[in-house]
Amino acid sequence: MSAILAAGIAHWFGSEPALEGIDLVVERSDHVAVLGENGAGKTTLLRILATALEPSAGGLEIFGLNAHREKQRLRARIGYLSHAPGLYPSLTATENLNFYCDLRGVDRARVPEMLDLTGLTQVARRRVGELSRGLQQRLAIARAVIHDPLLLILDEPDASLDAEGPELLSRVMQKRTVVFATHDQALATRLGHRIVNLRRGHVVGAGSRLHVLH
Amino acid sequence: MRFLAIAFAVGRKDLLSEWRSRELVPALAQFVVLALVIANFGFQINNDNAFEIAPGILWLALVFAGLVAFGRAFAAEKEQASLEAMILTSAPPAAIFAGKALAAGTLLVICEAVLLPVMSLFFGTPLTFELAATVFLATIGMAALGCMFAAMVAQLRAREVMLPLLTLPLWIPLIIVGGQAVQNAIGGGGAIDQALWLLVDFDILFVVLTSLAARFVLDA
Repeated sequence: MSAILAAGIAHWFGSEPALEGIDLVVERSDHVAVLGENGAGKTTLLRILATALEPSAGGLEIFGLNAHREKQRLRARIGYLSHAPGLYPSLTATENLNFYCDLRGVDRARVPEMLDLTGLTQVARRRVGELSRGLQQRLAIARAVIHDPLLLILDEPDASLDAEGPELLSRVMQKRTVVFATHDQALATRLGHRIVNLRRGHVVGAGSRLHVLH
Repeated sequence: MRFLAIAFAVGRKDLLSEWRSRELVPALAQFVVLALVIANFGFQINNDNAFEIAPGILWLALVFAGLVAFGRAFAAEKEQASLEAMILTSAPPAAIFAGKALAAGTLLVICEAVLLPVMSLFFGTPLTFELAATVFLATIGMAALGCMFAAMVAQLRAREVMLPLLTLPLWIPLIIVGGQAVQNAIGGGGAIDQALWLLVDFDILFVVLTSLAARFVLDA
């Protein structure tokens, strides 16, 4: 069974098409990079895959479950990192993660482990509002994997990360199915097993990273 | 059990954020005190007419403080882009909603703890258990409705205008019954029990309706 099976996905914002006729099959443990210029539809596609947005047309199955009807069940298996970190600035890094443990019914004992994974142990007791944008991004990544999701959807995960960012992302992506969007072709080829190119809401190229490189 | 755990987690998070930032409660407390000061100068209030005028002033102050408190509950999540992250956790939307309403209601109760003694001081109205119970019961219904509409309008640019337009008409039953109950509680005569039970009925109705609607409002 494929991790993601999308057939003819389309989405319009009013009369403006954002995505049209997207077919996508992602196998388990596959890492798919979505490349494209601004406005290509990367974020819209990722939001649909994360069940944050209903497609206007087309069918989507994730782990064999209908993404529309089984939304709540699927969300327990999906970790999503959006454009904005979406953290609580007056809470500490630990408190932010504790809160998401409570929402997801995950043991809070996982929090130190996630802080360690993302290199945030030193700032665990600092308020998020006092952290740099890069550290906030690391915390948002920790939040996305706090429940050990099978599918990880990352929208520009490298945004604001330092030179160690790709290494961190590589650690986080291990043993998971991942779909991530980026502008950085080097990151896409480094972390993605396959690359999908989007332009104006259409897939204009897809293949293995070697295929895309040549 | 999970529903309650999530609702308390959301409520605790909101209250902790407010405790740390102290954005809302000091401003609301100042607002309700100022409203009473203005009313004190604006109306010729004495021992004979206090029980007639004070309920109106009390509800006006509470309604506007409530609109701000409930509006901020979801506007802050929108500004921090954190609402979506919360909804995508698979936590039941009704539990998230209950937690937000619990926290916003608690903030309003804190303002009421300032408002009622100050009203008693300015207007000489008695500070009774019945008065506190009336205001508390009305707050439950106001919080349920106010938070539901706040969640609906959080995505809109004109949310500050839309929230009162949607909320105030549905708060009217609470204000009518609450106004009568407050009048009775501060010495207007008449039995208060019936009004209190009616407020309980409204609370049950509004809490059930808004809990059912929460899924469609939050996860639209």
